[in-house]
Amino acid sequence: MDAKYANYINRELSWLEFNHRVLEEGMDPTVPLLERLKFLAITDSNLNEFFMVRVGGLRLLADQGVVRRDATGLSPAEQLELIHRRTHRMVEDAQDIYLREVEPRLAATGVQRTRPNELTDVQIRYLGQLFDQETAAVVTPMAVRSVRQFPLLKGLALHLAVRLRPQEGTRRTRIAVMPLGAVLDRFITLPGRAGLQYVLLEDVVLLFIDRLFPGERVAESVVFRITRNADMSVEEDGVADLLSGMQAVLNARKSSGCVRLEIQRGVSRTMLSFLQRALHVSEDETYCLAGPLDLAAFMELATMEGFPGQKYPEWVPQASPLVDPKSSMFDVLARQDVLLSHPFDTFKPVLRLIDEAADDPDVLAIKQTLYRTSRKSPVIEALKRAAANGKYVTVAVELKARFDEARNIGWAKKLEEEGVQVIYGVKGLKTHSKILVIVRRESRGIVRYMHFGTGNYNEATARLYCDISYLTSDADLGADASSFFNAICGFSAPQQLLKLAVAPIGLREKIVELIEDETERSRQGQEGTIRAKMNSLADETIINALYRASQAGVQVFLNVRGICCLRPGIAGLSENIRVTSIVDRFLEHSRLFYFRHGGEERVYISSADWMPRNLDRRVELLVPIDDDASRKELIRVLGVYSADTVKARILLPDGRYERVQPDPGAASVRSQQALYTSSCERIAHMQQARRTAFEPHLPADTQE
Amino acid sequence: MKRSHTRPISHAMIDRILKAGRPMAVIDVGTTSVRMSIAQVTPDGELETLGQLQQSVSLGRAVFADQEIGRDTIEECVKCLKNFCTVLREYQIPLDSSRVRAVATSAVRDARNRQAFLDRVYIGTGLEVDAIDEAEVSRFTYLCVAPLFQTNAFLRESDALLVEVGGGSTEVLALRNERVLFSEGFRLGSLRMRQTLEDYRAPASRLRDIVENQIQRTMDLMRRRALKIEGLNLMAMGGDTRFAASHLVPDWDKHELLRLPVGKLAEFTDGILSHSVDELVRRYHLTYPEAETLGPALLTYVRLAEAMDLRQVLITSVSMRDGVLAEMAGQGTWTSAFTAQIVNSALALGAKYNFDRPHAEQVVALAQQFFTALRKEHRLGAHHELILRIAGLLHEIGVFVSNRSHHKHSMYLIQNSEIFGLGQRDLLLVALVARYHRRATPADSHEGYSKLHREDRIVVSKLASILRMADALDRGHMQRVNAPEVKTTARQMVITVRNAPDLTLEALALDEKAEMFREVYGMQAVLRKEGMRG
Repeated sequence: MDAKYANYINRELSWLEFNHRVLEEGMDPTVPLLERLKFLAITDSNLNEFFMVRVGGLRLLADQGVVRRDATGLSPAEQLELIHRRTHRMVEDAQDIYLREVEPRLAATGVQRTRPNELTDVQIRYLGQLFDQETAAVVTPMAVRSVRQFPLLKGLALHLAVRLRPQEGTRRTRIAVMPLGAVLDRFITLPGRAGLQYVLLEDVVLLFIDRLFPGERVAESVVFRITRNADMSVEEDGVADLLSGMQAVLNARKSSGCVRLEIQRGVSRTMLSFLQRALHVSEDETYCLAGPLDLAAFMELATMEGFPGQKYPEWVPQASPLVDPKSSMFDVLARQDVLLSHPFDTFKPVLRLIDEAADDPDVLAIKQTLYRTSRKSPVIEALKRAAANGKYVTVAVELKARFDEARNIGWAKKLEEEGVQVIYGVKGLKTHSKILVIVRRESRGIVRYMHFGTGNYNEATARLYCDISYLTSDADLGADASSFFNAICGFSAPQQLLKLAVAPIGLREKIVELIEDETERSRQGQEGTIRAKMNSLADETIINALYRASQAGVQVFLNVRGICCLRPGIAGLSENIRVTSIVDRFLEHSRLFYFRHGGEERVYISSADWMPRNLDRRVELLVPIDDDASRKELIRVLGVYSADTVKARILLPDGRYERVQPDPGAASVRSQQALYTSSCERIAHMQQARRTAFEPHLPADTQE
Repeated sequence: MKRSHTRPISHAMIDRILKAGRPMAVIDVGTTSVRMSIAQVTPDGELETLGQLQQSVSLGRAVFADQEIGRDTIEECVKCLKNFCTVLREYQIPLDSSRVRAVATSAVRDARNRQAFLDRVYIGTGLEVDAIDEAEVSRFTYLCVAPLFQTNAFLRESDALLVEVGGGSTEVLALRNERVLFSEGFRLGSLRMRQTLEDYRAPASRLRDIVENQIQRTMDLMRRRALKIEGLNLMAMGGDTRFAASHLVPDWDKHELLRLPVGKLAEFTDGILSHSVDELVRRYHLTYPEAETLGPALLTYVRLAEAMDLRQVLITSVSMRDGVLAEMAGQGTWTSAFTAQIVNSALALGAKYNFDRPHAEQVVALAQQFFTALRKEHRLGAHHELILRIAGLLHEIGVFVSNRSHHKHSMYLIQNSEIFGLGQRDLLLVALVARYHRRATPADSHEGYSKLHREDRIVVSKLASILRMADALDRGHMQRVNAPEVKTTARQMVITVRNAPDLTLEALALDEKAEMFREVYGMQAVLRKEGMRG
């Protein structure tokens, strides 16, 4: 392989290894059972999106014979081959762990899947009635006359394929296909026993399949589903790197092709080859599963009520000692900045800030970016109230958040109706930044209060993802925040900022500058250290800058949850770079960067990962944390992640990951546990330090 | 809470600071863009910038080519100003002159359809835009850099030259020990340079020739005005140098002065000039107007520094807008230190015309006494007192031309001279007050006076009548009436002189000249002697 190709890891293969880490959690016997099932569901749903978008994009290119090579020298066709090879193994592993461990152990705890041959007569009669009354009406077989006349199937939905015996006197095999539909429940509960006993929908239909073909004999019936290429444009955020400049390729495409066929093991060669020809899928793209298809649907089981013994113990998000519940958020932030690590620290202060701003008569304006928010979002309600109270409310919404467009448009329109100025994104760019500014008139003049985050304004995901919130009333950051909104609202050309950096107009340059600064210092004999935590690392410019840093002796510690195209540990290139990934109960989501900078210790949080799509095609922010206390806290957090020896995996030069082992004799550290523990301890400590049992309300001017 | 981006307003410049907590804004309609700065005064009396906005509007292009602002450009400008007004509303800043000041510089000033433009802006946005002249630009520039002289002692050790290469013109302000030596504007800015190249389809190398020409003119000016080039502090203002500084020194704390080695700036400039405008836009995320003017502007600063053998250039992020804000924060009043600048400039002008300085100063002293005594009657403020002072200093420079009708010569000379800190409007007032220190009183037919608004006409009358009397009391040019006691009653202003010798001459003169005073103030002026019995 050409030397320059050896310096990077292929993005798709790296992602697959990330998905494997998710699967590993499902394979881990120390993880509670229903959580393991959840991880299996996530593994499957991740693969769905991966196939629709990434594999779909590569398929498009390969079909047209495009040989555009990636940074590792692989053509689309070559990548597809490697992807399928790895995914087959992954699916085998997932199915295996489900069938061999998860399903039986679930049965032992009272959640039992019943197969058709295990049903009692009573149960069969019950199911038969159900089938006649509800299921049969919805399941409609479609005859397939030839491979060329195959009906258009919905992607990712379960279907049955039925082969009927030839009619008297003929030899022609007849095939019918039927969707199982979205209306019906996948898990059909059986009445009676304690616990939960269920049958899978497809098993029920297969049991009574004859009833759908009166007068015929069913030779074979199998469950299958297809995955389609997602509908995409050249600017589609998820594949812009693959498809940029490829409008002709998209134009040439006739319909969303099928990129994967999943089918239950045991299907006959006849049936399989018929389907493969009809759907234009190759052997590589065919996945025969020993267990249930669509493990993603098992999320429903994994999240059902009850069974506390099979779930993670609840970790209640803790109050922060910095936020006095008796003071207004404005008073709190006037005194000091507040740094929160979700979900260990509660998201409530952020919501409280918006709420108070909505009702405070001195607040003049509220500006916010909203990317993905929750269904009945308290944020939206507060913004509506603020507009009704006469404040200037501006919201920059992002509608192209993949797959939930319908919901996004609805609430945006409602906001507009209430008098909120809604900016529907910036042309050509996705608004991914997470920023809130509140402009308030006080006796000393105009003061601005800000929230900067690495995660969305969504109180539901704030309990599931690890993110950082930084709340402040710093005047420089306030001026920059106003300037930022002036720019995205079209009131002004972007101005030179005092502290913030914005993508796509300078964020990458700032990161590279920080890396090169560290590199130069190291060359001149100073100690150089970079610690960066993010979700994905794929930007070549930055990777090359990191390689140069390593070559100059800078110690680089990268905590990259998912895709990492940088190859660590290569002599002469990256031997000073160490990459770990943490996958645990909460989804790691924060972006947090540290540069030693000659002892000054500069710390930043960001909404952006180090990927071309973030740096070139999205509006993102890089926020310096200059407040001493917050900075120290973030350095501590980075330290905890570095010390993880339970859920951390280290990236090896060949692209594989292996578990980080604790030093002999040393205690093991699970970073998310450690962070939660410290959040609990901090607030407990503060509460213990209270001197009196009762705290009186004193007049405002009394010394506190 | 750390507030790192405030700056002192220079209390040497401003006596009374606007109450803290009321944000204000200044809008600058320039050659290549419209900019707005929003600021407020902190409880510590410092100026804190709340926001800066900017939109590219190519006013200069059309004006330089056709002397008119095109309709499309006018509408673009109105749209931009409407956006700015929305932002002002968000801060609850009302559009009155004590809170929002909108000024326009050379592009608007030179446009034939200037009035139509200003009218359209007013109708479209409610904003009253002032087309200010170079003298006012100098004043604002001085106000914005003065605080730097307070916080950076080294600036006071040698002469300083402030240069701003704007789109339409280049402004130069020279200072020695915080005092203004001279200010000058050249009608050659970066946009004109770029257009000259385009008009003649000249290659970029021609740019250097154009710039050289400009440099020579500036060097000549400095020599003529006896600027000490040795050890000169060259201060560059403007977005172009700020841009260069931010790239060369990313850590630059914009609230501080930056010392940039000329070599580094020269290297950077060469790099900029080697790129096409398109490349600059892509690489540096600039707008096209910014990219077009960047090269010419930077080259001018570099060549100027090199011609003067300087090792470094000082870069500052303050702009004229900060000067306007400072003036607004001080509610338009100037302190003695600042007015001393203006007075100095006037004295220099007087000296140029061989004026009788002791007489002039005596007249001013007397006039000020009368002004103070009559405060309740005229209800004028410090600004107008200054007008009176300058008029008093210069009322007789017309004698240089001829004794006959010297008041008219004085008016002409004053109107066509440069006095630091006084714009055209103030200069006209001074000229008129000087004109009316003798002979005819104001009439509608008089040139200059006829153009004034009623308010200003009354000011002229009030001040001129005082000047007449002050002049009368030094009729002999011997400074015999020194610091008299001045008292007013309902019907009289009584001037009591102690220990004076014979005052017949002065009394006669007073009689002659008090008519206008009687008409304006409804009082009689009475001269009394006390003390020496003779």
